[in-house]
Amino acid sequence: MCFRKNIVIPLSLILILSCKQLPQKSVVQYQGFQISKQVPVDSAFIRFLVPYGNQLKSSMGKVIGRSENGLYKKQPESEIGNFMADAVKDMSEKKYGKKVDAAFVNYGGVRSYIAKGDVTVGQIFELMPFDNLVIIQEIRGAVLQQFLDVTALDGGWPLSGLTMEIKNKKASHILIGGKPIDRDVVYSIANSDYVANGGSNCSMLKGIKQENKGYLLRDALIDYAISRTEKGKSIDSNLENRVVNANE
Amino acid sequence: MQTNRRKFIEQTAAAGLGLATASLMPQKVAAFKKASQFTILHTNDVHSRLDPFPMDGSRNQGLGGVAARASLITGIRKEKEHVLLLDAGDIFQGTPYFNMYKGEPEIKAMSMMGYDAATMGNHDFDAGIENFANQLLHASFPIVICNYDFNGTALEQKTIPYQIFKKGNTKIGVFGIGIELQGLVPENLYEKTVYQDPIIMANRTAEILKKEGCNMIICLSHLGDKYEDSKVSDEILSKESYDIDLIIGGHTHRFFETPRKYQNKRQNEVLVNQVGWAGIQLGQLDYNISSYNTSKTPSSKSIFIVNKTTK
Repeated sequence: MCFRKNIVIPLSLILILSCKQLPQKSVVQYQGFQISKQVPVDSAFIRFLVPYGNQLKSSMGKVIGRSENGLYKKQPESEIGNFMADAVKDMSEKKYGKKVDAAFVNYGGVRSYIAKGDVTVGQIFELMPFDNLVIIQEIRGAVLQQFLDVTALDGGWPLSGLTMEIKNKKASHILIGGKPIDRDVVYSIANSDYVANGGSNCSMLKGIKQENKGYLLRDALIDYAISRTEKGKSIDSNLENRVVNANE
Repeated sequence: MQTNRRKFIEQTAAAGLGLATASLMPQKVAAFKKASQFTILHTNDVHSRLDPFPMDGSRNQGLGGVAARASLITGIRKEKEHVLLLDAGDIFQGTPYFNMYKGEPEIKAMSMMGYDAATMGNHDFDAGIENFANQLLHASFPIVICNYDFNGTALEQKTIPYQIFKKGNTKIGVFGIGIELQGLVPENLYEKTVYQDPIIMANRTAEILKKEGCNMIICLSHLGDKYEDSKVSDEILSKESYDIDLIIGGHTHRFFETPRKYQNKRQNEVLVNQVGWAGIQLGQLDYNISSYNTSKTPSSKSIFIVNKTTK
């Protein structure tokens, strides 16, 4: 296949070899540009965004509370996660008019943070941009254990009403309402429809009856923030060892 | 329109092939002498981040935004003759722009920036498959994806498996690979879309591109860079591949310090890169290829990465 092969027969072997060894050499120069404030802006794009932005500001700019410390995302437990899971527990109990044993938010669904200062509707949209619904399922302790194992394998999910340890990538020392989990007890669990439909590897929840009032998870967060503000509380939360890594 | 474009690609490819066989020797000599230079610019997981992050004291404050990215791209295009601008999916979802406008300003801004191709991420299904098809009416670039079968959905005939670009003396084939949708995207959003094995489809498509005479084959992948378990990733795809030169990745939102290098099935080197998310970074890969090996048999390709300081 080498084009010089045919020139002189005695040399062909050497040439085949040399051709074979002739590599295609690529030099790739890599540069990762940070798109920072120092990069000048293209004004055509600023003009392009104005009409979209103006309409957004009127609906998204509404202030619904204030955060003193700011809430950020991390695992196994985070301030923002506790805020969200508490919102799901509190608001689902109100919306569905029943006691909920535990509430969950999938970690991958925590999409943003809340900065210190005024909290706007727009920030909640960034935190929970998906149109997921808050649903309730009645599940047995054995299934709950399987579900918690998935959250443990994923590094720990935001939760409320329950505490657990992550040991060897499994959920252990699970306490619900302060009591150890019982395989045969049926628990009332608030979750997003995304997870309950088997999303984020939660196939064990799929097919279990859901109580669904079409209540958006994002609306639960907004309603919870407003109710805290009305009670004179800020949009803050603390780390309380709800989920801890046992191996550390 | 799409079928016309596909026909056009096929025709150009056929014409190119005819030329190569007709004048084999001079072409080969020319190919050996001519070095080739081109630049790949890329983003992934921009997630509707049209404005920079707000100045609120958070880690990413002031970063990103299409207005700054556009001016950076314009500057690079002035400097470099042969530029391809690519995106590895998850264009949608993450700011209220998406909740309100369902992706219209995102697609329009990418068209204004002159994107050459993009693939689909899982979140691009978030407002439904029909919505994505509708937003594509605003796109001046193709969506390349070869392992989703959209038959019987609104996206049928609206995407293409690959696109071939001629940049100087380099023929660049760009194709796309999407992630498994089941368990990740609600079924009512992706509807009848059939996910096909990414490794089989990627190798099949890359082989087609090689046969069409591409000297450079790029995979836009939304598989994710790598996982702790055996879930298919860019790392696995690169090792299982034969003809891919570069994988522009996404989904896992990782900022690579430098592109990763893997060996494929032919013991050639494959580069994998990913630039985090939210349009915080723009990746630039300047290729300088000494010669194109004219041999049809697999030859060794070595890639030397030179890192410039990140600006």
